[in-house]
Amino acid sequence: MPESRRPDDAATRFERYLDALLGTGRPSPASVADADEAEMARMAAELAAAFTAPEEGEPDPAFLEQLRRRVREADAGITAVRISPPVRERPRPSGAAPWRLSRRELLQAGLGAAAGLAAGAVGASLLGGNDRATIGGDSGTLVSGDGFWAEVARLDELPPGTALRFSTAAFDGFVVNDQGTVRALSSVCTHMGCTLQFRPDWQDLRCPCHEASFDLAGRLANGRTAWRASGAYRGDAGAYPLDLPDLVRPRTKVEGDVIYVWTAQA
Amino acid sequence: MPDAPGPFEKVYDAHVLGIYRFIYARVGNHPDAEDLTAQVFVRAVEQLDTDRHPGEIAAWLYRVAQNTTADYWRAFYRLPLVGTDHVAPGWEPADTSTPPSESAGDSASTRVETVLRRLPDHYRRVLQLRFLERLSVAETASAMGITSGNARVLQYRALRRAALLEEGPDA
Repeated sequence: MPESRRPDDAATRFERYLDALLGTGRPSPASVADADEAEMARMAAELAAAFTAPEEGEPDPAFLEQLRRRVREADAGITAVRISPPVRERPRPSGAAPWRLSRRELLQAGLGAAAGLAAGAVGASLLGGNDRATIGGDSGTLVSGDGFWAEVARLDELPPGTALRFSTAAFDGFVVNDQGTVRALSSVCTHMGCTLQFRPDWQDLRCPCHEASFDLAGRLANGRTAWRASGAYRGDAGAYPLDLPDLVRPRTKVEGDVIYVWTAQA
Repeated sequence: MPDAPGPFEKVYDAHVLGIYRFIYARVGNHPDAEDLTAQVFVRAVEQLDTDRHPGEIAAWLYRVAQNTTADYWRAFYRLPLVGTDHVAPGWEPADTSTPPSESAGDSASTRVETVLRRLPDHYRRVLQLRFLERLSVAETASAMGITSGNARVLQYRALRRAALLEEGPDA
């Protein structure tokens, strides 16, 4: 084995792997320099596991319960498919809201959640926003064959910390004011396509089906990784066992007082 | 929610603890063991035929667990990820060749004991203090009467030697 590396430097860097392994962190490949050290990391992982006290080596019951819920969804999906084989619809878990709702029903569902959570003012702006933001494909300014800038809301309707639903012919989403940054986000959960609901007090978009929460940048906010790292969503039973892709984020611009979202032609 | 467990939930109940322990023995930490276990069962939900014989189901799950763990280590070896998602769906998952020294049948703790026995005393001592007693580097150094810097270098060399031993006679 060549000893070309300075042993102190290598040992100090490798200690980061061991610190995470033996502590509560998550070991990172970045702490490992080459294949030799990867062998050492595997050795260390096996040592750590072999020397774990039996009760310390068992899975977290909360994790097991969350994963069980995912598996149950699959069982529910099978049932749905078997009951109606000719219908080529994506299965949905029992107890979830139907997938195809009218705009009005969607609006009412969102409003109910918003009102239940606290903010009458935000509820009103959601209502106003939806009415005016249901824009046909031919009412925006045509920019190219691929899409166009659709006017979805006015800036004065969207103070920091609020969100408005909008729909174009091709796209359903939210415009959000994330501490001064205006952004458009898809309202479709990247897990099974349920419609997200804005929660003002949590500043997130929450999936009613399986409780995934996306932050106002469109990233999964209560995945287990984020949950462990930041301590956010402490006590949230819906902390998500998997990583999900980010929400679709169409281009957004503000001209004067008007918020536009780039949307594809339907 | 179904009242009685469905077919996937039955598979889950029968195997989740075994799969978790199998993976934990190979990654040595809970956050990664949870992620990889979830990956195995998500893949089962997508691809596993629950009408199969229970023995075949178990064999399938453990092969997926082994491949998933192998992919995890690929990132440490800087090897291109085969990615379990890219393996052609089918009953038998393709055997994504495992990194060196993967021997699924061995009992991990037996192998660890053998390795420790074959190490020089001061190497074995530093690994016992760190991994068995779970002392910090500073505590280990103080228990051995050396500096923290020396303890870090000692554990580094001990792990290097142990990794070489683990590869066995054909290494």
